[in-house]
Amino acid sequence: MPAARRRPSASEQLTGWAFVTPGAAIIILFGAVPIVWSAVMSLQRNNLLTGKTPYVGLRNYRALVHDPVVAQAVQHTLVYTALFVPGTMAIGLFLAVAMNRKIRFISLYRTAAYATMAISAISEAVVFIWLFDPSYGIVNYFLSLLGIPPQQFLNSPSQALYVIVAMTVWGWTGFAVVIYLAALQGVPQELLDAAAVDGAGRWTAFRRVTLPLLSPASLFLAVWLTINALQLFDEVYLSTQGGPLNATTVLVYYLYEQAFQNFNFGYASAIAYFLFLIILVVTAIQFRVGRRFTYYRS
Amino acid sequence: MRSHWLRIAAACGAIALGLTACGSDATSGNSGGGTTISIWEGYTQTEAKAFAHLISVYNKAHPGQTVNSLFVNNDNSLQKVLTAVRGGSPPDIAYLYGSWAPNVAQIPQVVNLTHVVSQPGVNWNDFWVGERDVATVNGKIIGVPALVDNLAVVYNKTLFAQAGLKPPTPNWTWSEFVADAKRLTNPAKKQFGTAYVTPGTEDSVWHWEPLLWQAGGSILTPDNKKAAFDSPAGLQALNTLRDMAVSHSMYFDPTDSAYTNVFNSGKIGMLVTGPWDLSVFPNVHYGVQIMPSYPGTSGGHQTISGPDNWVIFNNGAARTAAAEKFLLWLTAPAQVKYFSLATGDLPIRRSVETAPGFLAQMNKSLPGVDTFITNLGNVRQARPQTPTYPKVSQILGNMVVSVLLGKSQPQAALNSAAQQVNQALASSNG
Repeated sequence: MPAARRRPSASEQLTGWAFVTPGAAIIILFGAVPIVWSAVMSLQRNNLLTGKTPYVGLRNYRALVHDPVVAQAVQHTLVYTALFVPGTMAIGLFLAVAMNRKIRFISLYRTAAYATMAISAISEAVVFIWLFDPSYGIVNYFLSLLGIPPQQFLNSPSQALYVIVAMTVWGWTGFAVVIYLAALQGVPQELLDAAAVDGAGRWTAFRRVTLPLLSPASLFLAVWLTINALQLFDEVYLSTQGGPLNATTVLVYYLYEQAFQNFNFGYASAIAYFLFLIILVVTAIQFRVGRRFTYYRS
Repeated sequence: MRSHWLRIAAACGAIALGLTACGSDATSGNSGGGTTISIWEGYTQTEAKAFAHLISVYNKAHPGQTVNSLFVNNDNSLQKVLTAVRGGSPPDIAYLYGSWAPNVAQIPQVVNLTHVVSQPGVNWNDFWVGERDVATVNGKIIGVPALVDNLAVVYNKTLFAQAGLKPPTPNWTWSEFVADAKRLTNPAKKQFGTAYVTPGTEDSVWHWEPLLWQAGGSILTPDNKKAAFDSPAGLQALNTLRDMAVSHSMYFDPTDSAYTNVFNSGKIGMLVTGPWDLSVFPNVHYGVQIMPSYPGTSGGHQTISGPDNWVIFNNGAARTAAAEKFLLWLTAPAQVKYFSLATGDLPIRRSVETAPGFLAQMNKSLPGVDTFITNLGNVRQARPQTPTYPKVSQILGNMVVSVLLGKSQPQAALNSAAQQVNQALASSNG
């Protein structure tokens, strides 16, 4: 006779709640309350200084639509994301496939690939600042060997953002490598063998067998890297501070500038919600489109 | 990018906590008749040691009074103070950047120190005028000077000799500076006459502002309601920088961090910078000279200073009185002298500069710092004390950088920046 599911007794319920409450309280206090509070602040004129926080309705949001720097920041954020995400995934996939074999010192290579993730953003920024220094950097030296004139890089409003892309792709490639390496371990050898028997070459087998089996990992990386890309801040703060001439001002950096330099916490909150909306829409699209191309083995 | 999730979450959390938490700590300072006050400061290394020493001396000399210091990174101190103010338990004293003063003055808990510093024995006028200006907002004194610096020219003596140039004199002019910069530039050796920081932040701006003042101009009108830099003086100041950019005698540092290494490697002839950089130039035989001037103007060789303040927050009469007493002690000549000698920081009081043997003693530990100390006398004015200054600074930063990078002509850049500044000032007033 199947045992009826017993309702937990009152004291057990209490014990359960007692265990959950501290964690839940902290999450609510540091997670939910700020989220709600910044929604409230986005409807106020609030500099956090005076204690006077008059409600201004949607004025911050209206100002946002007409702010040319917001338009620039959105453009920079999207261009950055469009380059950073595929770039990181492509290089990560290439390295993962290259390292998915039994050769000598393979664990050394794999560690080396992941090491970029362990390096702090500040060291990364300092290294790239010197690599791309217009006068003393090694990148311009190599370009000169190819007969290309020296570039201004971070000093150039049209190039600075791409240097940030290079910097962050380098920093995140190790992450993509690890994810893809793990996924590659799950590609069954017999499928590849069967494809070989059917006459598929290595490239066809990779395209028709390996790549589809990697699609869940690809979707995960695309979503994860996109969310991170839309929230780019550290590398900009550490290298160009949004310059030159706002060329690297992305949304989160502009938000920071408004909140902590100009004391426009209301306006900054509105920008934060605007960014949240962008992330929500982009992620929803990614899941929608991604599902169509993602193959889950049951 | 990796850590900013955490940082933003923490910042939001702190803000929310500050706004929602109710003050519970406001009366904890009085225990058994004694008064305990807390002071938030951002000193590290030698400064931290010297400051801790001063506090222990004070605590020993004043039984019944305890001063507790807490390290708070200076860059973040206003955020933390705001949080604490909203939580009802602000520190009694906090070290706050001078550039924040007009905004800090809006915090209701900030104690008006006007009557305190006018007490006999304090000798308020002994503080440099640049410091007093930054501690004063709308006629109200909201802080006591904590630190002072200024800009002067640090030059590489070896490069000057190699180029056959005489070292600059205290009477030099900007046309001499520009000519020297050109002579010191050598593309084959990747050597530059001078450098400029180009992220477009306040650091890009305050290197231009003294030129504007020297040429006889001002940043805003005296009532801080309109732009005043779009003047012949503003044009002259911008043109000086542009001339050096056009002749490629300027190393542009978009990061605000590389130029010190380049100078220390002997690749830059002259740097307009502050005393804080001297200790990172061990490889260069350098000299220090005050800034050049524009002949025929009343601006002279004046420079700019970025002083910081100690600000008192109201935690009840007893603690406020204790905080005032401690601050007056901390900023009295004897303590100022001790702190400067121990750390190499410029003295925040004029009378310390003239104490016999002081300059020589300072120079022994940090060669060239004496010029920076006497240069404090060349600080004639402060940047506009308006809450909108951060926004003004962002506009000016883009103006200067766009001219340096050849993206716009000086006059057009001035006009456009003035229009934006007027707009920003109008919308903040109305």
